[in-house]
Amino acid sequence: MARLKITGLKKSYGATPAVRGVDLDIPEGEFTVLVGPSGCGKSTLLRTIAGLEDADEGTIEIDGEVVNAVRPRDRNIAMVFQNYALYPYMSVFENIAFGLRARKTPNAAVTTQVHQAAEMLGITALLARLPRELSGGQRQRVAIGRAIVREARLYLFDEPLSNLDAQLRDEMRGEIKRLHQEIGKTMIYVTHDQIEAMTLADRIVLLKDGLIEQQGAPLELFDRPATRFVAGFLGSPSMNFVPATLEQTGDTLVVIFADGTSLALPASRAAALAGRIGGEIIFGVRPEHISKAGNGVARDSHAPLNVTIDLVQPTGSRTYVTFQLGATAAVAELEVHDVERPGEHLTLLVDMNRVVIIDPKTDLVISHIGSAASAA
Amino acid sequence: MSTLANDSGSRMNRFADRNFKYLVIAPAVLILLLFGIFPLVYTLLVSFQNINMMETDTSFSGLLQYRQLFSDIRLWESLGHTLLIVAIALPIELIAGLMMALLFLDRMPGRQIFVALLVLPTMIAPIVAGATWRLLFDNRFGPINQVLGWITGEPQAILWTIRPEYVYPAIFIAEVWQWTPFMFLILLAAMSNVDTSLTEAAEIDGASRLRIFFKIMLPAIWSVMTIALLIRGLDLFRIFDVIWALTQGGPGTKTETISIYAYIQGFRQFETSYTAAMAFLVIFLLTIAVMFALKRMEFVR
Amino acid sequence: MSAAAARRRLSRRRAWRLAFRYLAAVALTVVFLFPIYWLFSISLKTPDEIFASPPAWYPASIQFDNFKVLFKDGDATTVWNSLFIAGTSTALAMFLGTLCAYSLARFKTGGDNLAIWIISQRMIPPIVVVFPLFLLYVWLGWVDTYHGLILLYTAFNLPYVIWMMRGYIEDIPIELEESALVDGCTRWQVLVKVVFPMARTGLFATAVFTFVFAWNDFIFALVMTRSEVTTYPVQVTHYFGGQSNFWAKIAAMSVLGAAPVFVAVAFLQRYLVRGISMGAVKG
Repeated sequence: MARLKITGLKKSYGATPAVRGVDLDIPEGEFTVLVGPSGCGKSTLLRTIAGLEDADEGTIEIDGEVVNAVRPRDRNIAMVFQNYALYPYMSVFENIAFGLRARKTPNAAVTTQVHQAAEMLGITALLARLPRELSGGQRQRVAIGRAIVREARLYLFDEPLSNLDAQLRDEMRGEIKRLHQEIGKTMIYVTHDQIEAMTLADRIVLLKDGLIEQQGAPLELFDRPATRFVAGFLGSPSMNFVPATLEQTGDTLVVIFADGTSLALPASRAAALAGRIGGEIIFGVRPEHISKAGNGVARDSHAPLNVTIDLVQPTGSRTYVTFQLGATAAVAELEVHDVERPGEHLTLLVDMNRVVIIDPKTDLVISHIGSAASAA
Repeated sequence: MSTLANDSGSRMNRFADRNFKYLVIAPAVLILLLFGIFPLVYTLLVSFQNINMMETDTSFSGLLQYRQLFSDIRLWESLGHTLLIVAIALPIELIAGLMMALLFLDRMPGRQIFVALLVLPTMIAPIVAGATWRLLFDNRFGPINQVLGWITGEPQAILWTIRPEYVYPAIFIAEVWQWTPFMFLILLAAMSNVDTSLTEAAEIDGASRLRIFFKIMLPAIWSVMTIALLIRGLDLFRIFDVIWALTQGGPGTKTETISIYAYIQGFRQFETSYTAAMAFLVIFLLTIAVMFALKRMEFVR
Repeated sequence: MSAAAARRRLSRRRAWRLAFRYLAAVALTVVFLFPIYWLFSISLKTPDEIFASPPAWYPASIQFDNFKVLFKDGDATTVWNSLFIAGTSTALAMFLGTLCAYSLARFKTGGDNLAIWIISQRMIPPIVVVFPLFLLYVWLGWVDTYHGLILLYTAFNLPYVIWMMRGYIEDIPIELEESALVDGCTRWQVLVKVVFPMARTGLFATAVFTFVFAWNDFIFALVMTRSEVTTYPVQVTHYFGGQSNFWAKIAAMSVLGAAPVFVAVAFLQRYLVRGISMGAVKG
């Protein structure tokens, strides 16, 4: 188990910067997910930690030891690659045993440890087979087996589930979570899939253009995003962003959209937004925080909205509807039978406690559900 | 643009379209048949006859020629010479090629230029290569003896293309010089195509460079390597130009390979039927060798 | 050690390794190119320099007399002969071979057996077939003729062309051809309008290698020609005498023969691997 500390890391490929200054401090045993759109630098960051790339600037410390100049094989880390990187001409057993043999582990120990790892992953029956005879999910497990058998101090995962189909991905996600619970080592996991990030991470590190946009527990980033990018990245379907202006009517702050529709903000938000009255904002609300009026969930914080439904997309368990909010098309996640067909007129309720207010000039979030408590 | 077969017009067109795949393959196959099958059949026929410089006896002579083959010492010596050349040159070219490929495998600015230059020996005519080394090896005017003289401190007058103990080294030097770049190029390409995540995974797992080479790299390029060895092996077997330029098979018959001997028998001695029998022997041996090699290739996979 | 110091040590180790590799690369290049350099330098030397003992390492002044002699004596025409013969046979082989390759690639005509037979044709040692072909040529009256040699080279290059072009054609997405067919093209039009243009880099690369094979051939030319038709490799061997060799002519003629190939290599760099390895490795 190891502590990982990264300070001021920078890495460019020729003239293209990939990582532009990253600081990270990961305690022992934590499962950290590096997530972000392609090109954000997450893979580069991971490979630098592994030693497969050299950092241009900055330090990487594992357990307090600076490892910048240490070769990958000496860093005592294990890595699971996106395309599994299984040695095609060796059996599953030999694939898993490869690292042990490279360190001259005696045969008896090799057999025991390989079998242990195989059992943990449920692949004992496959030990004699060749990689090409295995399915995608099975290869995945072998790749993971090869990593855990060595009892390294740090585990790195480079988008291991991207090559699997959706169903298998769900299954393997659970496996990886269970694995971390069982062996408890420090794990760093790279993915572009925000669902994987949300479900697996103890801590999410969201990267954009080579810099950390925000890091923290998944729900923290979800409920209290720091920027528009974070707010829009997590959550599926993603948050609705609608331009609006902030006005005051009596004691209440009101959000007014381009077509005149208005939604009242709860009093708890007033303090933080005092200085913005009269200004332009971006109004952010997640589809799941909009419901149909009359479903019996009405609360003070829910503001009503009368809309005409443009598009209906049923998924079986939910129905997604599209409507106009101001000048923008917005999506709401409703119950299955709330709507039958497009053209219907509905009254929706927006949970104003959970909306996010963004400054359009800086793209920073100036008010979210936590601001009420932390506002001065 | 004409439409499909509904064109009122050519039955010719429709015929052509339907039988397209045969029409298009026909000329090439015909030529190959003429130049491929015919010689084999003819050779077989002639080998059972008795045509030589003196007489043209086309009656069936049975295994006359073939029996003569077995008692022909010169023939078996020439086969021996040929196999010697294959057995020595091939491993040298392979190992040298591997080492050169490893040298150029990692990134290196200007690598393209080096590779293009190093490949030049392979691109010149083998006869020219032989002629060039003839110049280099010349006893008095060639630089090889000069350089040797510098190294050993005393003037060297080695008759590379005449003295029996030096002719084979000379041939090997010339041949390896010309064809190592061939192996080098193929191996470099094969190694470059190896999935880097395999070597990276092995590196992280703690394997030394040597282990990575033997356990990861080598198996990955195995199929390409065997094809290259097969091509080169066959080429070495029929070596002619280089030796012809250097020694013409001499001194005496010391460096006479099967190709040279066959040439002399056929075009100097005009032993038509005998040459035919030799040709068939060679085909027979080669077929066995190739089938053996192919079986082994499949097996290892 | 501090991060900065660690980085410095790492990059120093790297620098040493790179320097060593460059040294080795340069040494190798010198060794492999020296004979070629020698050949070129002899072609530019005066007789005194050529027959100097110890040998002169470079010509004192560059003079083209050796080449001029070749042109004057008419020997240089053998290069034109080679050009004509190799060029024509290449064109023929490329055309027929590509057609055949298309049939193999798209229709799998003749199945595996035909394909294997065709490739095996390349493995036949020339010495085995040159003799009966010679007799055939005598009977046809094709010995010492241009068309005889051209046809011979065409036949022997066909397997290579077929093999290479089949690979290149298989790389073309078949949807392009299918959509042309749906648009109303005949099979011939698909060939001309879609396949040839898409495969043109493969065509070019294969053509150059085919040309070089024919250009460099010695044994077929030796056997099949006498006095009317002479290619430059055969011409070179005419300068080997019993007593003395016409070194200058040998070198000059060789240079004339080798230079075009060097130029071709300069253009061909990218295709070298695939062309030489017959597609065993996708370059």
